[in-house]
Amino acid sequence: MEQSRARAFDEFVAARWSALLHLARLLVGGDRHRAEDLLQESLVKLWFVWPKVADEAPEPYVRKVMMRAAARSGQRRWWGERPVEQLPEAAVVGDVSADVVERSRLEAALAQLSPKQRVAVVLRYYQDLPEGQVAEALGCPVGTARSHAARGVAQLRQLLGHVNEPVQ
Amino acid sequence: MDHFERQLAQMMRDTEAPAPFEPKHRERLWAGVRVRSRRRAAQRAVGSVLAIVGLSVGLFLLPGRTTPVEPSHPGPQPATSPSPSASPATPDASLSAPPSSDTSTAPAAPDGNATIMPPPSTSAPPSGTATARN
Repeated sequence: MEQSRARAFDEFVAARWSALLHLARLLVGGDRHRAEDLLQESLVKLWFVWPKVADEAPEPYVRKVMMRAAARSGQRRWWGERPVEQLPEAAVVGDVSADVVERSRLEAALAQLSPKQRVAVVLRYYQDLPEGQVAEALGCPVGTARSHAARGVAQLRQLLGHVNEPVQ
Repeated sequence: MDHFERQLAQMMRDTEAPAPFEPKHRERLWAGVRVRSRRRAAQRAVGSVLAIVGLSVGLFLLPGRTTPVEPSHPGPQPATSPSPSASPATPDASLSAPPSSDTSTAPAAPDGNATIMPPPSTSAPPSGTATARN
């Protein structure tokens, strides 16, 4: 019983790891380690409710846990940024493809937003969630969630100005 | 949704990099599950101990628990009512009673009979003196 439960859980995680990690990276503003921490915490919570949600919707459950944790991240000390003398991940020369550059710019721009603005933007434009569900994830009224998303997009518009130009 | 917002949404989707679920991720995940299991078990144990202690203290402090349930003693007799054991019912008993201040001052009857005095009480009228005069 426990073995089959663990096997099903493992298969789910292996199948959805990449997509969930991408969402986590967007939610935390690009930091891979923080994204892995966020995803792992959410998956550990999923394990303890796995018998209840396994047959229904395990992925929405994980996404909701991640969204709420990311929205609260501004209030948590252990997610606070700490200055270091050396960058933990130095860019490798020659490994600068266009996709990597684009992702880095996007993540750097998202990192400039406040946690709630970032979560609102990601949920609204990456997850295509309606404003009501964004507000529910943020734990605030719909108007406040709309404001977070609008301010976040306005800031991203300044930071990522080049994507505003029509693609030829 | 304007052009920038559409571009932004597209950019978020296109930048997904393939990230396989590696053995180190699996080990870390199950280590997290074990840690959380132990923490939940410890919390449950502490909660159970606290519940038992609280219940024990509550039962110990229940009002009247240590008081034995026994028939209560008879209530005190009124001070003015004569007690059968304390007040003599027979005239002979009054003869042997120690003389009180009233009886000591009362004159003896002319015929030599002893005056029958009521039992000493605070509310009894001093009829014995009146009787002695007769």
